[in-house]
Amino acid sequence: MTVEAGVSVAKRVVGGSFLLEDLTPDDVFTPEDLSEEQRQVASTATSFAEEKILAQAEAIEEKDFAVTRELMRELGELGLLGVDVPEEYGGLAMDKITSAIVADNLSVSGGFSVTLGAHCTIGTMPLVWYGTHEQKAKYLPKLASGEWIAAYALSESSAGSDAMNIRTRAKLSEDGKHYVLNGEKMWISNAGFADLFTVFAKIDGEQFSAFLIERGTPGLSVGAEEHKLGIRGSSTCPLVLEDCRVPVENLLGTAGKGHHIAFNILNVGRYKLAAGTLGGMRFAFRNGVRYAKERVAFGKPIATFGLIQEKIADSAAAIYATESAVYRVVGAIDAALADLNHDSATYAQDVQKRIEEFAVECSILKVLGSEALERVADHALQIHGGYGYVEEYPAERSYRDSRINRIFEGTNEINRLIATGFMIKRAVAGTLPLMPAIKKVMDEVMAGPGERVSYDGPMAAERALLASAKKLALFTSGAASQRFGNDLGEQQEVMGALADILIETLTMESCILRAEKQRKANAPGVKLAKYYAMRAFRVIETAAERVLGAVAEGDMLRTQMTIFRRLAKHEPANAVILGREIAAAMVEAGRYRI
Amino acid sequence: MKIIVAIKQVPERDARIRIDSGNKWIDLEDVEFSMNESDAYALEEALQLKEAHGGEVIVVSAGPERAGKTIREALAKGADRAIHLQSSDETELAAYDALGVARLLAASIQDEKADLVLTGLQSDDLGLGQTGVILAELLGLPHASLILKIEVAGNGLKVLRELEDGWFQHIELATPAVLTIQSGNTKLRYATLMGIKKAKTKEVRVIAVADLVASDPSLKPTAPSVVLDQVKLPHKQRSTQLLGGSPAEAAAALVEKLQFEVRVI
Amino acid sequence: MSSVLVFLEIKNREISRISWEAMAAGHQLAASLGVPVDLAVVANRDNPLLQTIHGKVPRTVYAIDDPLLHDYTADGYTTACAQLIEHAKPTYVVFPHTYQVRDFAPRLATRFQQTLISDVTGIEAGPAFTRQLLQGKLNASYHHSGSEVCFLSIQAGAFRADAAEAGSTAVEPFLPKLDATQIRTKPGEPFRASAQTVDLTSAPILVSVGRGIKEEANLPLVQELATALSAELAASRPICDAGWLPMERQVGSSGQTVAPKLYLAIGISGAIQHLVGMKGSQCVVAINKDENAPIFEVADYGIVGDLFEVVPALTTAVRKVKS
Repeated sequence: MTVEAGVSVAKRVVGGSFLLEDLTPDDVFTPEDLSEEQRQVASTATSFAEEKILAQAEAIEEKDFAVTRELMRELGELGLLGVDVPEEYGGLAMDKITSAIVADNLSVSGGFSVTLGAHCTIGTMPLVWYGTHEQKAKYLPKLASGEWIAAYALSESSAGSDAMNIRTRAKLSEDGKHYVLNGEKMWISNAGFADLFTVFAKIDGEQFSAFLIERGTPGLSVGAEEHKLGIRGSSTCPLVLEDCRVPVENLLGTAGKGHHIAFNILNVGRYKLAAGTLGGMRFAFRNGVRYAKERVAFGKPIATFGLIQEKIADSAAAIYATESAVYRVVGAIDAALADLNHDSATYAQDVQKRIEEFAVECSILKVLGSEALERVADHALQIHGGYGYVEEYPAERSYRDSRINRIFEGTNEINRLIATGFMIKRAVAGTLPLMPAIKKVMDEVMAGPGERVSYDGPMAAERALLASAKKLALFTSGAASQRFGNDLGEQQEVMGALADILIETLTMESCILRAEKQRKANAPGVKLAKYYAMRAFRVIETAAERVLGAVAEGDMLRTQMTIFRRLAKHEPANAVILGREIAAAMVEAGRYRI
Repeated sequence: MKIIVAIKQVPERDARIRIDSGNKWIDLEDVEFSMNESDAYALEEALQLKEAHGGEVIVVSAGPERAGKTIREALAKGADRAIHLQSSDETELAAYDALGVARLLAASIQDEKADLVLTGLQSDDLGLGQTGVILAELLGLPHASLILKIEVAGNGLKVLRELEDGWFQHIELATPAVLTIQSGNTKLRYATLMGIKKAKTKEVRVIAVADLVASDPSLKPTAPSVVLDQVKLPHKQRSTQLLGGSPAEAAAALVEKLQFEVRVI
Repeated sequence: MSSVLVFLEIKNREISRISWEAMAAGHQLAASLGVPVDLAVVANRDNPLLQTIHGKVPRTVYAIDDPLLHDYTADGYTTACAQLIEHAKPTYVVFPHTYQVRDFAPRLATRFQQTLISDVTGIEAGPAFTRQLLQGKLNASYHHSGSEVCFLSIQAGAFRADAAEAGSTAVEPFLPKLDATQIRTKPGEPFRASAQTVDLTSAPILVSVGRGIKEEANLPLVQELATALSAELAASRPICDAGWLPMERQVGSSGQTVAPKLYLAIGISGAIQHLVGMKGSQCVVAINKDENAPIFEVADYGIVGDLFEVVPALTTAVRKVKS
């Protein structure tokens, strides 16, 4: 189905409500719903990635930053750096789906994608949202055109996940014309060649604030490149601020409110990161599949062997699932933004507030995408055998490049805590009616085995699994809250296991809705959705057992495990046959194709 | 200069080839389509001419509704407006041979009185390689085919034509004229996001094939002179002996063949 | 009376090879219909090349002659040929599928309200004409309907030229009525992009490289194999378009037509445009990672695999045998 661009096809759902709402396929956005305009953007991005970025993959990897900058300039010319930038400042002000499409389809080089993400998202968005008219007029056209490259400097050697703990200080000069900054920043992407830095510092050691600092400003120096495991094509350096005098007009946003900038940017950073993992996955997957087709062992291409096919199927399902979840969530964000008034004075704040509503989903996507990418890259490497371990083949690079995604934009540990933590916070505050839902499930399971709801359609079995997954999520959350009360936040392992349940429930539901939306029982997506749902449910079962084991013992545990087994009861489908069928279609195509 | 570019939407190069139940064409289910390669070069030439000399670029395409996607792609790349000669389904145009389709195209662009009509050298699907030349005859215009480069010279054009075996020649001709463009001589541009956004506001005039035929009964496909009876997957012209094993084993086997059977080593 | 009229093309001061093939196709068609074959050449009746016409004996050879036809133009050829067709009234007109024919034959057919059946690879009973679709991935069978004249062009290499038969043919001059104002294009002298330094057509072994090589920097891999085999290096069109190898090394319809003892196609998928330039080779070896690549349809030996592994292994193996 193709619809007009700008017309939101997703239902306006409340962020975080996925455990509570039963959605129909028409309520969600899927990759098949991309408008023609969005498909054209995808096509421009894909062609650019294949013909320009891949062609320069080696130069990029060798940190030939002149090449990187030239590519960025070309991207700017095409408008690909200005998707989120307002039109009056040289951008295109397109929807968030389009922004995700660009991040997705340009990702064929981990190093270059980091450059791009650091520039477009964390580099540019603070200015878009918090800049004054003068600041935006001065810098945004240059950033949107790729003439200037942006960087975002928050982390420090001893302030990473605990970003509010930074030590960099700012002090207003006596004449009131400058802030004088002192401190050190670390792990700054694009630092080696960026022209504009968004630097966080505490004014007088207290007011957490952001500053726009141009390269060449006296007192700002860039340290040596880090030697990294992966994403070697990107620049990562420390910054040193030594009596760096920043004009007062370069204070970004309000003094003391810098944490709004830091936190709100992260939500966008997270879903865009997840979108970027998609391109990386398809690239790694394609290399793995092609090798499997070509490599002959025991007289046959290894793609004909079951354990290779299993890797291919598992990878394809991971890609399908991540696509389903990313585009569903970003589509929901677009739907949430649809009725905002662009001309309102508070537009930027309104946008952030609406996006923040989806903070749980953004954290889920970040964990999902980074771990799926690593899984797909690992399978691709393994398919290559020894050749996967040497630099002659791109599998090795994909594998190394994938690893950083679990670390930056909030580690996956932090994001798991956020996903569960925000959900609980919403429940406690009553902004999401989770408590009544938990109570209802508790009452229901305590009442003993009820009637099983039956579903129809090609995804009937998976629908049943999904219903069980949601109940398990509510049941385990309820059990954990009962046991730990307000201290649950301290039980990181339990919070992590609950996050796994949230992640897999959202993802599995996204796959099912997407497959159903294709309205064809033999659509290729149906097999992928089924395959993923099985895997997701296994993860959910394991995590639920882990939670229950930690929250109860003795008779209580026995009762809960009885309930658990009742909820989790299902008959496994034949994943072996399904996997072979999925792999056969992918091998025929030589790439991820549905 | 007013330039018309005739473009065609064709199945993508890596499309799965499965013959449909009628044995006349491939099964189009799940097939992706794209702009015919040499037509994309024709469009690029037209856009470059417009950039250098001003004027207007109008694309025309015959095909079912799906061809609209390719038309809008051309608009996104910079064409100013479009004419979509729209067939009601996948089979309506199959009743016409190349001459019949060219007549429809000629009828739909006649009133534009363009200075230049460009098409790609041939389509990647039917590969007849004739539409442009037939159009020239129908419109009563001179033409040149297999063109790599177009220069404006005086009141006319000087074009570079590819000959066989690495030979070339220049041809001078007056406008209005028709040129068919060979692929590969220039870099194709990408659609910019601004272009994609603007494309939505550009005019696409849809002319239904049936309406056009109703207005001019001589366009009716009463009896095409050339009729496609059936399609088949090609059988191999030679039986290929595949040499398997590891690269080293396959190489050794091949060298043995070259030594003792082909006797070239 | 019905007949088959075959147009022959003079190129490089001889009647081109593909013209003999078109003539063979014309004779096959005529035999199936039981009609005579006439030939037509744009030449003066005294042109000695007319004496070189061999193969099966035609009924008449028309020498189409006019000063305005000395340089090829689509307008001149179309008008002259149209007048001959009006005169000779053939039922079938057969052309070799050359760049020149592609330039004017569709125009000529249009004058007779007909569509040229272009690039024919086979003629079956009916007559049914086979041509390729989707760049060689599909064969299609066509027939001509109606009693009007039917136009065909024959793909290079699709028919084998007939052996010469004894007999003599009358050459009949045909003087079309042409007017200089009818010719609306001014052709320039043909030229080559650069001086030719290699002659692929005389090399016994060609190692030919295509898109699969991915980057210019990888070419030495193939050059080494060519050196080991004492072969000339050739290429498909994309490689020459990219400027990685000079145009003179290009094999295919827009490049050279070759027929070496051994043609080794490396990373060449085998689009028709390439195949017509090399399928006359005595032995074709294809190395390609796509087992479905059309090149395997004309290959005698094939290795399905990564050229970056296979080619170095082959170079080593050749060197070992030669030393």
